[in-house]
Amino acid sequence: MEKETRLFEPGLFYVQAATLFRRIASLIHTAAARRASLIIHAMHERLSFHIKRNSALHRLNPLTKLTLVLGLVLISFLSPWYWTPHALLLIVIIPLSFVGKVNREFFRAFLRLILPAASFLFFMQAFFQPVGGTVIFKIWFLDITKESLLFAFRNAMRIAVMVSSFTLFLLTTHPSELMSDLTRRGLPGQFAYVIISTLQILPQMQAKAQTIIAAQRSRGLDTQSSFLRRMGSLGPLVGPLVFGSLVEVEERAIAIEARGFTSTQIKTSLYEISDTSLDRTIRWILILLVIITLLLKLWLS
Amino acid sequence: MAIVNLQDVTYKYPLTDSPALQNINLQVQEGEFVAVVGPNGAGKSTLCYTLAGFVPHFFKGELTGIVEILGKESHNSTLSEWVLNVGLAFQNPFNQISGAKYTVFEELAFGLENIGIPRDEMKTRVLDAMKLTGISDLAERSPYSLSGGQQQRVALTSILVMQPKVLVLDEPTSQMDPIGTREVFGVVRRMAERGMTVILVEHKVEWIAQFADRVIALKDGQIFLDGTPAEVLTSPLLQENGFGVSRYTSAARKAKAIGLWKKEELPVTLEEAVEGFSRANAGRVV
Repeated sequence: MEKETRLFEPGLFYVQAATLFRRIASLIHTAAARRASLIIHAMHERLSFHIKRNSALHRLNPLTKLTLVLGLVLISFLSPWYWTPHALLLIVIIPLSFVGKVNREFFRAFLRLILPAASFLFFMQAFFQPVGGTVIFKIWFLDITKESLLFAFRNAMRIAVMVSSFTLFLLTTHPSELMSDLTRRGLPGQFAYVIISTLQILPQMQAKAQTIIAAQRSRGLDTQSSFLRRMGSLGPLVGPLVFGSLVEVEERAIAIEARGFTSTQIKTSLYEISDTSLDRTIRWILILLVIITLLLKLWLS
Repeated sequence: MAIVNLQDVTYKYPLTDSPALQNINLQVQEGEFVAVVGPNGAGKSTLCYTLAGFVPHFFKGELTGIVEILGKESHNSTLSEWVLNVGLAFQNPFNQISGAKYTVFEELAFGLENIGIPRDEMKTRVLDAMKLTGISDLAERSPYSLSGGQQQRVALTSILVMQPKVLVLDEPTSQMDPIGTREVFGVVRRMAERGMTVILVEHKVEWIAQFADRVIALKDGQIFLDGTPAEVLTSPLLQENGFGVSRYTSAARKAKAIGLWKKEELPVTLEEAVEGFSRANAGRVV
């Protein structure tokens, strides 16, 4: 029987698709790697998102700002009214970024991080949320209803409130300030150490991974060909990183122990962190607002 | 009475058969600057850990004999009490950075915060210590952005700032250039003159000869030689047993064999070598 000639050759198609996919992936990968290395470089010197400015928001006690973040998030999720998260973003968070004099950095983060994340969530929920109701338009088999759009819009806004208030917090609060304030209030020192040192050591680990990759490549390790071979190359890269880190942990433990880390003395702090009556008032107001929102939610539903 | 007193100390790391330290007897007086030399695996770092209390409180294993500092025995004390009297800085500067602080100034204050020093005294102590080790200009830098040599200075300062009675240093200048090494030795010497007792592990014998009061040579976990720098560092036993020897000593030893070195004792430093050779040639016409 003669073989049928086909217009569509699956084998070729897969190869072409795979090539295209790999090209896109490598483009994304290079761009992402370049951006990551830039961020790491910037973080190397600063090691935090904190921007040093003199503003009312900077001067607030870290716990007050943390309460503010949690309060805004809780209110935006609990509120019985549809427009609450939108309103919080527009009339609280954005003006606060001006009060904190970090509006430029805030908008940059908003455009690059918060907006893409919120839009992604919006589209996913608008298309795939099975909420019945008035169909506005159809794409293929997906019904887009008015209800699903509204639902998605609010959820995207809630996420935007959450991420943007947290961004504002990170921009105006130095991590060591936060930790020494929380330690003063009774957070165990070991816990604070774990949080802060993780933040600091991640970029270091990343730099070390880069060094190991360069070292192994110079000895002929294949890190750029097919996916399977690259998977195979992971061993010689991860091994030194993990075992090296284990040795490091021991030495670091000795080093901080030598500096009295587990001392039973009451710890003191280099920085004096102010906690004014204004701070306390703001915290109480926020707690009260959250409680009121919760009660309203329970009462109205 | 000796401030550091080790009697018949033998220590075995867990899961090992041979002891890392064997019958160590060592008495150090207050304000004495003792250098420890020895080939790799001789037990130098283990000796440091034992003095600083990490053996037996951090590394388990078998410790016998008496480890006594300021009249207190280490096994009767907790590690956090022990470190108030004995400071330890070791070789790898990167792992000595706490990772919990964002600037060098904060990093230096870390130990003082832990032991509850009041804020004003903390600041004065950090400023003084930075001036002493010459790192005042690094105060606002991130400790991670520094070079290896700078990080080593920060590591040393972070211990000095705690003002221990006994300072134990395990190769604190391994990543420094000659100028940095000289400065650090100068600082350590000054601390010893102020009454701090210093025990320093170091390979750079020429510097030891200039700055230390006493040298101990360790081999296979045992004290092999113990004496003044001139006695120990020029001993013919050193080279035969795989110790590092100053190039001036080995040059003069060869010169002596062919009659070009006239003095009885051999030199360790450049200055001693120059002086000895010029005396040997004094009669000749230049």
